[in-house]
Amino acid sequence: MQGLRLIFEFFKVSTQAELAYRANFFIRFLNAILNLVTGVLSLTVIFNQVDSIKGWDLPSAMALLGVYLLLAALRGLFIGPSLESVAGMDGEIWQGTFDFTLLRPVDKQFLISFRHWRVLMLFDLCLALGVLGYAIHLMQAELTLLAVLGFIITLIAGVALLYAALLAFSALVFWNSGFLFTWIINDLFQLARYPVELYPGWLRLVLTWIIPVGLMTTIPAQALSGKLSWQWLILTLLFTIGALIGASWLFRQGLKKYTSASS
Amino acid sequence: MNHQGGWELIKNTWQSWLQHRGFFFLLAFGWMLPLLVYLMIWSAAASEGSLTGLSQDTLAGYYLVLVLVNQLTYATTNWTVGDNIRMGQISRWLIQPMSPLYHALSSEIAGKVVFMLFSVPVTAVLALIFRPQFNLSWQQSLLFLPSIVLAWALRFFWGYWLALLAFWATRADSLLALQDTMIFLLGGHLAPIRLLPNWMQSLAKILPFRYMSAFPVEILTGFLDKNEIFSGLLIQLGWTITAYLLYRLVWIRGVRHYEAVGG
Repeated sequence: MQGLRLIFEFFKVSTQAELAYRANFFIRFLNAILNLVTGVLSLTVIFNQVDSIKGWDLPSAMALLGVYLLLAALRGLFIGPSLESVAGMDGEIWQGTFDFTLLRPVDKQFLISFRHWRVLMLFDLCLALGVLGYAIHLMQAELTLLAVLGFIITLIAGVALLYAALLAFSALVFWNSGFLFTWIINDLFQLARYPVELYPGWLRLVLTWIIPVGLMTTIPAQALSGKLSWQWLILTLLFTIGALIGASWLFRQGLKKYTSASS
Repeated sequence: MNHQGGWELIKNTWQSWLQHRGFFFLLAFGWMLPLLVYLMIWSAAASEGSLTGLSQDTLAGYYLVLVLVNQLTYATTNWTVGDNIRMGQISRWLIQPMSPLYHALSSEIAGKVVFMLFSVPVTAVLALIFRPQFNLSWQQSLLFLPSIVLAWALRFFWGYWLALLAFWATRADSLLALQDTMIFLLGGHLAPIRLLPNWMQSLAKILPFRYMSAFPVEILTGFLDKNEIFSGLLIQLGWTITAYLLYRLVWIRGVRHYEAVGG
């Protein structure tokens, strides 16, 4: 309960800070639209040339794009800005101001995960939901309750996986602050725009099990189009739980290693 | 005009950039990745059916050359021009006895040196994986040189005049983001121009964005016949001159408009 209240307060403070700059409003809006247009146009161009690639047609690829945009919006809404303020360039660990964060009487992982919100990313969130809706419209299929249920479960797993990956990569900053690990995962996340099946075999394995950006979007999109098997669903959930525990462990190990920059 | 000073500045900048190799290698990796994604997507598409005469190995040749050309023509500096104007850094440059353009040029050249140190070996390794094929001819390879120089100049001055709008508006950066999006869509990144739908192809041939990145690649990889090359070069030259004139105009007006705050 106290956690929720804190999140609400963090959200409020971030909102006030962000809305002070009116130009940001238009810029965010423009960016969100640009993202949407490039995403949809890319798919249109590709499926203008071929009807389907490796079993993925326009509607299912559109659903995947919707999932990707949704995850990207959530990342931009709070996971990204919160973790970046600790581990990013000129973040608290570089600056040495992380000491003040550690002194707060709240669970550290909770604090660094929910502290900063970029409220205007709610635009992006709405557009992502729009793309998902459009994809479902394209599918025209009788969406079974089971498919929708599977989609919601795997989508939550996708968000959790994304969070775990970002947390793990951020935790690496305790070992080497000079190298911007969060940037690498940002770059690799772009690969999640398309189904993992479209990539060559070795890369598919990497994107599924090592840096699971592929799992995050491919699995929910498959669930929505009713192509996901039970085995994969359970495997994904187990993997997600494992990733969450692993990332949290890595972060705690990092905290132990942290020696203040200032004194 | 003091060119000697300009050259010293250029040398200095690139030596200092080399000290932060890791950071720039990471940037270069980030630019390379989207192109590789589309290379893999199109090769997956080409493996299923034929794409208007493009095979997997010609696509590989196109995209790998594009990776290099894109990094050679990408003007990183333009992103910092706006900050320099807002923070008043530019005041110091204005009183130096050489054109402030040298500050942009110095980081341009420094950037190219550092990025190529990363990209050339990486592209060579990728060539072993993707096995590109080229249909080179001597005359065309010779025309590649003027076209890549023009592409760089066009992209640089186009971005520079947009960035200089920071004299009036605080967030002119978003215009640079828009330019990047246009290059992605119409500059041959999303797909080689000939795979785009007709309306996008005609836009690509008129607007400047193709001439900032894809055009030299199309010449080198033998996508164009003689007439297309010459008419393309003319359009490219026209846009480059336009971009330069726009830069002069905005610069002269901007400096007159500029009032420094503080020292």
